[in-house]
Amino acid sequence: MGRGIWVHWVMMLLHVVAIVMFTRGFLLTRTELPNYSKCSDVSESPCFFPVNENQDHNKVRNHTDQNQGRCWSKPAIDRLVIIVFDALRFDFVAPSTFFQESKPWMNKLKLIQELAATNASSARIFKAIADPPTTSLQRLKGLTTGGLPTFIDVGNSFGAPAIVEDNLIHQLAQNGKRVVMMGDDTWTQLFPNHFEKSFPYPSFNVRDLDTVDNGCIDHLLPFLQQEDWDVLIAHFLGVDHAGHIFGVDSGQMIDKLEQYNTVLQNVVEALESQSAPGGLHENTLLLVMGDHGQTVNGDHGGGSAEEVETSMFALSFKNPPSPIPAEFDTSSCGLDLDRRNICISSIQQLDFAVTISALLGIPFPFGSIGRVNPQLYALGAGTWNFEDSAGNCQNQPKLDEWMLNYVNVLCINSWQVKRYIDIYSAASVIGFSREDLLHIENIYAKAEERWSHTTKTLLLQKKESCDALLPALKRQIHEYSDFLASVAELARSKWTEFDLKMMGTGLGIMLISIIIHFLAIKKVKEQNGFSFTSPGDSGISFGLIFACFMVVIRACSFLSNSFILEEGKVACFLLATTGFIKMRSSIMKKKMISEAFAFLLLVTICRFTIQVGLSKQVPSSESVNAFPSWMLMMTSVWNFVADILPVLALILLAVLLHKAINRSSSEGIWKYIMLGTNLSYMLIALYWSSESNILNLSWVLKDVGRNCIPRLVYAIGVGQLFLLAINQLFIKQKSIDGSKNLSTKAVAMFSVWSSTVIILLGKQGPFIALAFITGGYCIMRLDNVELDGKDGGGWNLMLDPVPVTQWSLFAVCLFFCTGHWCAFDGLRYGAAFTGFDEFILLPQAILLTMDTYGFSLILPIFGLPFLVACRGQTEKGTQPILVRLSLVYMIYGLIMATSVTATILCVTIHRRHLMVWGLFAPKFVFDVAGLILTDGLVCLASLYYFSRVEDHVLHDPLK
Amino acid sequence: MKKKTKMGVRASSISVSTTEALLVHLTIGLGLALCFSVAHNVHFISLTSHPSQALGLIWAFQCPTVILLYSRYRKDQERCSYWKAVGRGLLGLPAGAVVNALGAIALGAPVGIQYLPKTINWSLMMSLFTIVPAASVFGSSWTDWQRIFACTKPNDPVDYMICLPAHGVVIGAWFGAWPVPLDWERPWQEWPVCVSYGAIAGYLVSLVASFGFILVRQHVKGD
Repeated sequence: MGRGIWVHWVMMLLHVVAIVMFTRGFLLTRTELPNYSKCSDVSESPCFFPVNENQDHNKVRNHTDQNQGRCWSKPAIDRLVIIVFDALRFDFVAPSTFFQESKPWMNKLKLIQELAATNASSARIFKAIADPPTTSLQRLKGLTTGGLPTFIDVGNSFGAPAIVEDNLIHQLAQNGKRVVMMGDDTWTQLFPNHFEKSFPYPSFNVRDLDTVDNGCIDHLLPFLQQEDWDVLIAHFLGVDHAGHIFGVDSGQMIDKLEQYNTVLQNVVEALESQSAPGGLHENTLLLVMGDHGQTVNGDHGGGSAEEVETSMFALSFKNPPSPIPAEFDTSSCGLDLDRRNICISSIQQLDFAVTISALLGIPFPFGSIGRVNPQLYALGAGTWNFEDSAGNCQNQPKLDEWMLNYVNVLCINSWQVKRYIDIYSAASVIGFSREDLLHIENIYAKAEERWSHTTKTLLLQKKESCDALLPALKRQIHEYSDFLASVAELARSKWTEFDLKMMGTGLGIMLISIIIHFLAIKKVKEQNGFSFTSPGDSGISFGLIFACFMVVIRACSFLSNSFILEEGKVACFLLATTGFIKMRSSIMKKKMISEAFAFLLLVTICRFTIQVGLSKQVPSSESVNAFPSWMLMMTSVWNFVADILPVLALILLAVLLHKAINRSSSEGIWKYIMLGTNLSYMLIALYWSSESNILNLSWVLKDVGRNCIPRLVYAIGVGQLFLLAINQLFIKQKSIDGSKNLSTKAVAMFSVWSSTVIILLGKQGPFIALAFITGGYCIMRLDNVELDGKDGGGWNLMLDPVPVTQWSLFAVCLFFCTGHWCAFDGLRYGAAFTGFDEFILLPQAILLTMDTYGFSLILPIFGLPFLVACRGQTEKGTQPILVRLSLVYMIYGLIMATSVTATILCVTIHRRHLMVWGLFAPKFVFDVAGLILTDGLVCLASLYYFSRVEDHVLHDPLK
Repeated sequence: MKKKTKMGVRASSISVSTTEALLVHLTIGLGLALCFSVAHNVHFISLTSHPSQALGLIWAFQCPTVILLYSRYRKDQERCSYWKAVGRGLLGLPAGAVVNALGAIALGAPVGIQYLPKTINWSLMMSLFTIVPAASVFGSSWTDWQRIFACTKPNDPVDYMICLPAHGVVIGAWFGAWPVPLDWERPWQEWPVCVSYGAIAGYLVSLVASFGFILVRQHVKGD
């Protein structure tokens, strides 16, 4: 077995192990549970302790009524206005005296500071700590679910970002609260049918600072005068966009902040004017908050202090009776510019959902792991009428009443978190470790025991033990807080912290696999007498150095996010460079100059196609509207051409394939394969013409045909594969002519896969296929340039790595040419629904993979024999050509593995980078999936191309 | 030894002494420096602020120097007059510019009406350093072109003076293109500023190298 087919299997194994290890450490996953909290659930908790049950008779009636109306906690506020300023840095809100030096963007939201300084008990500034990833979508998800969204939330619906987990908005809608939303359209994507009314504005145009904000302002103030809502959400985007485009230290940012100050003034005025008892906003809470911070350059996404520190301002229009006890007060106070005392508390964003739920009296979201924040909760306390219940313990201040309430809420809170943790660890494959669970269990049991034995008894005998009650309550609160804090800590370590050991091991295995790969190539090469240098030359050839240089420089380019963003252009640049080098040598030999030119032309076309593809990444609606009327005339002509051309290209492709297969062999099974492919192509052409309206074919296959034709094409493809497999397994091959046999097999394989890939890619498919064939042909021909001149014997055993490098670069270019890029919005979800209307996981996943990697992995790998077959037409026997093919596969695999290892290395280095979730992680996922697919395909291809010929080799005298 | 016999074959080219080569290299190098100082001190422009004008200034200034200097070393001097060589150089300038521009576009240079003047001036400059000297010296002798640009086999000092700077410019420009995609948002990252910087740096380095090679060769020959 000098051929080393085993290498492919070993490599696949090593790669899979390495990737699984690395992924476990790097891509934090969390399972989304389908459970929802319900009002009635709370009866299962040990807590629902009617606080004022043992009161005088008429009040009991009163309260039982209340208890029926009330859900998990006693509602503290009736209406809530949430104003979200995207990317609101903490220092936009807090007075500049809280920071070491004063910056121009500070102290612009003067109204907030004013209110916080003058009504300390009813207005409060919070420093809100977000959890990474600090991207808007993840943050909104975190804010509403009270959980820690990770990069991959298992169970996430395919493509659509809508939140399926239990969340605040869902609970609001379920419990009859009318929610109105205005601003950023991310909300409507996340919550497609939860809002009573919504006024979404497109958020993708980062250069547009005003559309979303003006839309919000237009709707916000009128709504404040209306009665028909309970919760109002206004999401402003201007600050985020100004940061992205101009940076924080810019005039535009300051303008935006000043504009917001005015908006807030109007809002507060409007609310205040109706906040008298009986007024519209008597029990309204105003929240002004950011979803995440931003760096001075306006970036966000990572976990640096600037990005995670945002702020929240809460304003209640009723004064709470008294400040909460000092133990629970986490605020730090200082003087502001006007020497007024101003206090700033701190809140975890995790706590937002549960605190708001508690304030509004709705069930806490099922997956929330936050704690009801005492300060924010206390702001709602002003709306309770304490007077009537204060009587039962005469010497007790209202404070105790509040604490009683709070302890009850915390009890429900802890019970709900415990329930979530229990169900999560039962349901999730990768749950928490046993020790951690045990630890949490213990803390909870302790707190629970105190509750049911001590505190509950004390509360029941309230009259006798008023003095003992307060310390008991405080202890109880501490214990519950302890429990909730340790759960949050555990969840953070599980969902937001990388496991460096695992990552290091994965990376190490990957590096080892590369070394083994390299050694295996060397061994197989030497065993069979191949060399990278042309005969006569000694030492290392120029080709080898050049190929290594190309691979290494491409691998190094992944170190920078900019190069990953422009990966297609970089690959094209390198491919063009190899083209120039090849052209140089073809001029040197005065041969195949036209092929060299054709190749460069092809690369140039690729380059423009990639640019078009990149511009699609930034969706722009203006370009469509910008066409003047005469252009519309042109478009109708253009449409016609655009309908006809793909069909023509398809016919050309069919003719080419037919010729290719006829040239090598025209008998037996290959004929049937070609027949099937031709049939598929005809079906595809029919499908396209039925979609367009040139031939008025739409009536032919109106409903059935739309799904039938693609499915038929898939079926033909599967049938052809089946035929090939049967042929491979059962039918003896007579031909010993290695190269001819190989090219027939390769053409057959190409034609089998091409039809499916083409129909998935749509009308660009045939062009890309033609480009693929042209490129392959040029690479193959140019490979022969250097060889023909040399004397016969030597070059048979020479292996030039440059064509393989070119082939892999070309495959990368095609990936970008087909309109893909390494991000999840770069997946063409539409392609997965070719031939299917509804979502079925397995076929859709297969189709999406085929669409994504069709021209960048599947066809290039099955097409690699072209590089070998056509060169060896004068060779005798199959042995050298198959060894050559095996070596080529190994080199291809090594090139792929090198670039993926570089990606993994860069992801490790940049794990705290701003763009880690936006750019590096998607790139990592795409590369890793691609590598595993490559390994699998290489193994399949080696089975297909080698296995049957093995028998001949055994009898081959050469061996 | 091998090289000497080859030299014997190629008797038609004139030999260049070390001092002459030094003078040529110095003239070209100093000319380039003069261009930059004129651009900076007289026109108050730099490559970064006004790439198009600065590049235009460079090629317009350097064009006479390069063509006039290299035309002196034309091959087959008996059949080709000095002015004919100058004419060939002038013809080579736009032709080479087209080749350079096409190459740059294949490698990914931006295309668009706003880039047109920059691309034109850049490719004229590139042409001046790559194609023009060869056009002046070799004219339409295809074998010489092939020997210099495809095989990279320079034989005599003139070959070195053509071959090394031309390759240096191209390689420099290739490396100069790498910072373009970075998101530093510096003005010099624009096409063709850093590519030009790379090309000029490559040119200067290869001028030194070619002089060094000539020096070593003369030394070996002297032995």
